[in-house]
Amino acid sequence: MAAVSEKLAALRRQLAERFPTARHPSGRVLRTGVPALDELTGGLPLAAITELVCAAPSSGSHLLLSHLLALTRGGRVRVALIDAADSFDPESLPADLLAHLVWVRCPRPSDTTAKAATPALQAADLIARDANFGLVVLDLRFAAESDLRRIPGPQWYRLQRAVEPTDLALIVITPRASVPSAQLRLVLNVPHDFSTLAGERPALAARLAPELQRQRLSPDARGNASAG
Amino acid sequence: MFAVLHIADFALHAALRHEPARRQAPAALFSGAGKKSVVLAINSAARAAGVERGMTAPQAVARCPALLIRSPHASAETEARAALLAASFALSPTIEETAPGICTIDLRGADAAKITPAATLAVTRLHHLGLPATAGLARTPLLALYAARAATEFLAVTDEQSFLAPLPLATADPPPELARVFAQWGLRQLGDLTALPRDEIVRRFGTAGLAVWQRATGGEPRPLRPVAPPREFSAAMEFEQVIETLEPLLFLLRRFLDRLALDLVAAQLVAAELELTLRLEDETRHARRFRLPEPTADPEILFRALHTHLESLQTAAAIIAVDLRLTPTRPLVRQQGLFETGLRDPHGFAETLARLSALVGADRVGTPQLRDTHRPDAATLVAPPAVIPPPAEPALQAALGLPLRRFRPPLPVRLSPAEDGTLYLWSDQLQGLVAFRSPPCTRSGEWWQPDRAWRRIEWDIALADGGLYRLVQIDGQHFIEGEYD
Repeated sequence: MAAVSEKLAALRRQLAERFPTARHPSGRVLRTGVPALDELTGGLPLAAITELVCAAPSSGSHLLLSHLLALTRGGRVRVALIDAADSFDPESLPADLLAHLVWVRCPRPSDTTAKAATPALQAADLIARDANFGLVVLDLRFAAESDLRRIPGPQWYRLQRAVEPTDLALIVITPRASVPSAQLRLVLNVPHDFSTLAGERPALAARLAPELQRQRLSPDARGNASAG
Repeated sequence: MFAVLHIADFALHAALRHEPARRQAPAALFSGAGKKSVVLAINSAARAAGVERGMTAPQAVARCPALLIRSPHASAETEARAALLAASFALSPTIEETAPGICTIDLRGADAAKITPAATLAVTRLHHLGLPATAGLARTPLLALYAARAATEFLAVTDEQSFLAPLPLATADPPPELARVFAQWGLRQLGDLTALPRDEIVRRFGTAGLAVWQRATGGEPRPLRPVAPPREFSAAMEFEQVIETLEPLLFLLRRFLDRLALDLVAAQLVAAELELTLRLEDETRHARRFRLPEPTADPEILFRALHTHLESLQTAAAIIAVDLRLTPTRPLVRQQGLFETGLRDPHGFAETLARLSALVGADRVGTPQLRDTHRPDAATLVAPPAVIPPPAEPALQAALGLPLRRFRPPLPVRLSPAEDGTLYLWSDQLQGLVAFRSPPCTRSGEWWQPDRAWRRIEWDIALADGGLYRLVQIDGQHFIEGEYD
């Protein structure tokens, strides 16, 4: 295992020498205001993909989304939600938190012969190339595992290439780890209990404690400029 | 100082400009479609193959079997004429349409240092629009025309005598009877004629002789008959052969927009709207109006708006004609506020929305807007605002609980009560023991409208294996409406 990582490091060094102008992770982050997340990673990396794996039901992915909507609303940052399963409920949020949101409701699989993940990825690719967004959320939480498995790896890397020259944070919400090009992978695997339905939402969001499963950004790049 | 933009064999090049693949092929313009039609104009490749003006079609094809035969195309000539005028207006507001394919431009008062680059740019623009133009620059309109005809691309006449002297006598367009006499005298070039005393020419040939002599010396400056700049910004074309694929249509629209953008720039205007009309073979029309997020005269941006729409368009029949109109407006002169967070790239945003609409449907992209009703799932989508409004004051009471993830449509479920009072929930996608259940909440609305009245009972439930859900009962049926997440 050590030999493999040494070879990888050597390969990366060679590539860096050969292509000195290639883009590297910027190190800039979007602070989320979720203490556990910001302490763990510094925030959501900009110009990179963050995968949020919701391994358990009611683990808080939309709670995090609503928190990010409130955060970006203050900065008047435009947000796109690509909703592969058409599951977003605007009525769960105050009307003011929707003013900066572009909601893309992908056709349900029953509506078309195509699988929902395909148009959702195409939509994400289009939006990632638009300079007007600061945060893009691709919600594949209800996508069938077979659909996710069928997405070719190069498609995820293509999405990563699309995001790299931008200033946006791209979050992909999945039911299991599926995004090979994700720079950061967080796992929400604890279902909320019944009492949380009576709790205040900002306090619930502050208590979110995602587990860090992957972080490809260098530690010294973390904590640089903050966009949040 | 005058300039002339000249397109030789104008009608032929107007007909050929929308066939870029055949630009180098030998081509001739015939007077009609019948056997007795004769060659009116030829391009250089046909000339090299031995085709001459006045030949009949069989004679011309015998000389050049690969000859492209074209007939005059009125709408193509109108469009080419508009392109020539647009390129000319970029040089000066005083221009004269001297003849088809010839525009004379009055450059008096223009900055001498900028004239040559501007004229060269006009020629380049016309080449880009598929019209092989040349430009001449001289003291008089006639001399500028001679220069344009003699130029390979651009020619400025500085020494008039040495420029005129070697030109053939036919350049001065003498009447046939004078041309015969001059030929008998051995006069071949303009220099030969102008070497003779003017008074002797007038004494022998009268006013006709004087006119030829003056033309041979390049004429005198004269006032032009100015053409009014276009007030409408439109382009139209009827096709000789119907269009069934996207590529030729896009090529034509790009040409239209390049020309219209020149018109807009010359008029110091920008386009606020585009209106595209396609006439179809089955006598129907497809019309679409595009409102631009920010007025512009950039042909690339205007073209992208059309391209995005046409990519997803399927017509019931082939296209026989196209019409494109731009609505002009004054350019916006406005500085954004320091804290105003408008769009960084308004055209890019509009294009992204158009592409998303083509991908998922126009009614499935937008900013959600809550309606003033208690009816569940009644939010609508509206067009995203160009400028995000400032945030409202925070609510006194923070939102409670987790947001809902809706199942659209709701999942039908069966509930099985156990003896100990617990409930077991069954559905195709979800089953489990209900560990906790909130008290029922009855909601109803619009009871005063029998066809819109709704009533439901809701419970929040937690399954023993994890997961918080909203259970609803509507008309005696139970559904899981969504998962709290």
